[in-house]
Amino acid sequence: MILAGLFLSAPACADLVVIAHPKSGAEQLSKEQVVNIFLGRFRQFPSGIAAEPIDQAATSSEKAVFYQRLVGKELAEINAYWARLVFSGRTQPPRQAASAAQVLEMVAANPGAIGYIERPKNESRVKIVFDVEK
Amino acid sequence: MFLHFRKSLVFGTTVGVVGVALLIGLLFKLVAADFSSERAERNVTTHLDQLVDTIESTASVACFAKDAQLAKELVNGVIKNIEVARVTITADGVPLAKAERPAASTRGSGLITTLPTLKRTLMSPFDATKAVGEISLEPNYQHMEHAITEQVRFVGLLLAVQLVVIAVAVMGVVFWVVVRPIKAMSDRLHRMNATAGEQLAIPARHENNEIGRLALDINGLANKLVLALRDEHQLRLQREMEERKYRGIFENADSGIFIVDRSGRLTSWNHSFSRLTALPTDAAKAPPLWELPWREPDMITTLIDSCLVDDSTREDDFELLLGAEASCWLHIAASPIGPETVQGIVSDVTTRKRAETSAREMAVTDPLTGLGNRPALEQHLLESIRAEEPFALMIADLDGFKRINDAMGFPIGDQILVIAATRLQDCLKHSDWLARAGSDEFAIILPGIGTVEAASRIGERVLDALGRPYDIPDAPALLGASIGISLYPRDGGDLPTLLRNSELAVDRARAAGGRNCQFFDAQMVEAAAQRRRLEADLRHAIVRNEFRLYYQPIIDLASHRMIGAEALIRWQHPQRGLVPPDEFIPLAEETGFVIELGLWVVEEACRQLALWRADGLDLYLSLNVSARQIPDSLPLSLLLDISGRHGIPPSALALEITEGVLMADATQGIAWLSAVRSVGFRTYLDDFGTGYSSLSYLKRFPMNVVKIDKSFVRDMGEDSSDRALVSAIIAMTRSLGLAVVAEGVETTAQLGLLRGMGCNYGQGYYFSRPLPAAEIPAARARIDAAG
Repeated sequence: MILAGLFLSAPACADLVVIAHPKSGAEQLSKEQVVNIFLGRFRQFPSGIAAEPIDQAATSSEKAVFYQRLVGKELAEINAYWARLVFSGRTQPPRQAASAAQVLEMVAANPGAIGYIERPKNESRVKIVFDVEK
Repeated sequence: MFLHFRKSLVFGTTVGVVGVALLIGLLFKLVAADFSSERAERNVTTHLDQLVDTIESTASVACFAKDAQLAKELVNGVIKNIEVARVTITADGVPLAKAERPAASTRGSGLITTLPTLKRTLMSPFDATKAVGEISLEPNYQHMEHAITEQVRFVGLLLAVQLVVIAVAVMGVVFWVVVRPIKAMSDRLHRMNATAGEQLAIPARHENNEIGRLALDINGLANKLVLALRDEHQLRLQREMEERKYRGIFENADSGIFIVDRSGRLTSWNHSFSRLTALPTDAAKAPPLWELPWREPDMITTLIDSCLVDDSTREDDFELLLGAEASCWLHIAASPIGPETVQGIVSDVTTRKRAETSAREMAVTDPLTGLGNRPALEQHLLESIRAEEPFALMIADLDGFKRINDAMGFPIGDQILVIAATRLQDCLKHSDWLARAGSDEFAIILPGIGTVEAASRIGERVLDALGRPYDIPDAPALLGASIGISLYPRDGGDLPTLLRNSELAVDRARAAGGRNCQFFDAQMVEAAAQRRRLEADLRHAIVRNEFRLYYQPIIDLASHRMIGAEALIRWQHPQRGLVPPDEFIPLAEETGFVIELGLWVVEEACRQLALWRADGLDLYLSLNVSARQIPDSLPLSLLLDISGRHGIPPSALALEITEGVLMADATQGIAWLSAVRSVGFRTYLDDFGTGYSSLSYLKRFPMNVVKIDKSFVRDMGEDSSDRALVSAIIAMTRSLGLAVVAEGVETTAQLGLLRGMGCNYGQGYYFSRPLPAAEIPAARARIDAAG
């Protein structure tokens, strides 16, 4: 199922970007800043606004591609990472959106939210702060 | 026999094993402690590393996320590990979480060396190149020490248990495998009687190992010892037997055996020695050897000493005095048997010694007369010469002794010699020394006699003594003596010269007719030399044709006709001229040359006779035959051979023999005469009346003619007794049927008397001297014409 999904969505995920609220104060984020925010190390924009990362659905190809491109890990590994923190630590994984549209909505609605989606066309509610390149 | 346990093999081995094990254990414990701590450290490091490995990823997550709670969870979990004393996790230099063991000491007792706190940098889970924190673990030294101590203690305990087990095992093994069999063998050896052939059994299951070998070796040794013991026993038995044997020989030996030390003390002797030396049987009373009654005790001492000095056997004869008169001779052979000990073998040689003495006396004594013999004479002469005092050597020869001895036999001859010896001794002084130097020859050494006068007186006495009649029963005899005397030193300074000169003087006395005494003079030597020369010449005379036959006519007195002749030999010596027969015939007789000469005479006579007969001269020839020629040197066959060769009949030859021929060996003489007469040769008895003329001879001997010696005829004219004797001889021979020839007729008166007495034939200068053959025909014619 996952493989089929990957195959089906791969061409669609060719251009993922990290989006934030325009009032987040962030114009552009480094890859390290993106990693720190999404993996719970440092969830704060350079402007001092707390960052709230949002994952796509666990089964979405965007999530897998995003983490693959960001830290070179499979989702299983990412899940295992979060499992250790969730069991005994205080740090929580990103909130999970049901879809890319919800991610867009949630980022547009919350200045501290940050998520990743397919590069949007003509969308001014969110600001692209990181281009998840290959 | 039981060994003290502390000295036993088991104890020793065990102590050894335990000692070595303890030593090893001690070393091992030291090493083990070291080893244990090292291992503990390594273990701890490994464990901590593994611990860190286990929590590393989680810790790195905690550090990445700076999640103190998660870190806290981790350190709490880690600190639960007993090996960890303190754990700290820092994220980016800020301590995130820390936990510490409550009672953990920072440092131990020094058992463990410094062990660094384990630190590991924690990398970001998403970027392996980026450090996000650090975890540090400090080991729990107290625990480690405890663990090590425990471990070492355990090892020690294990070792102790092992030691005990090994010691017990070693004791058991040594006891069962070594001690028990050895003990068994030892017990067996104590009971074993090897000489009875018992052997050491090899302990079971040890047949092929060292103990088995040991048992075999012990058996081998025991066998060897038993054999050696048996040999020794055998030897001892043999020695005892030898000892008994020699003791027996010693005690029962016929020879005396003694052992004496250097001082002459007798230490041992046997029965025979006691018997031979009349030694008291009580040993305590035995005197030293040299105190026995030896005639010369010093000789015994010398014998023992020289035997010891030379270390060799010495032997000699010793005379042992037994009482006043008796003595015995003992032969002692002494051999050294030790440095100061001599063994002597003694045998009684009295008999041998006496025999030797007797033999020695015999050797110089004439057994018949008891006088000294020729060797004794020579010995005595030598001693006399050595004394250089004047003495006379007189030799007395019995005239005609040989003839009497031959005629009457040895017993008579011996009696005469004994009588002669006695007479000689009677007329000599005690200091004079008499010997029998030959068969009828006595020699007398007269000490102190240096002059002819003194010697002459004694010579006369001896002549007189020996000249007296010998009154032997049934055979009275009358003998003269010829005596020759030489004087020392006048007639010779050495033994051979003196003897020879005395003999020469005797020869002179004998030649002078006997019954006289002659002194040696130098001419005798010359005469003897001349005689030797004559003898040499005689041998060549036949070859050189120096002999001649002369013929003396024999006349028939009745018819006054010459009927024959006696052939007489003459020697025409080239230097000396005509040598008379008296000078060379005795020499020829002595040397045996007369045999050769006799043959020549027969040959020559036959030759001459044949010539005469050819000329018509009818004569016979009479030839003188020597005693030496009869019977073998002039056998009948040879006579016939020679006469036959010249064509002479036996009747033309007459053979003249003297009485001496018949007296020498009557049987052979008679046989020869009978033989020659049987074939026709005539036989004449020559020189009748001069010797033992016994009328019985005439009867016994096969004679044809008897010739009366010229000495009777010569004295017939003056001496009426001779005339009567001649008359009686003629009458007697005629009555026996024999013819008579009177020799030495020189005068008409003699011829007349002989004719008157009836004598058949005559021969003498009256008719003719002996003539060469060439003159015989003329002589015959003259004689016949005179008749």
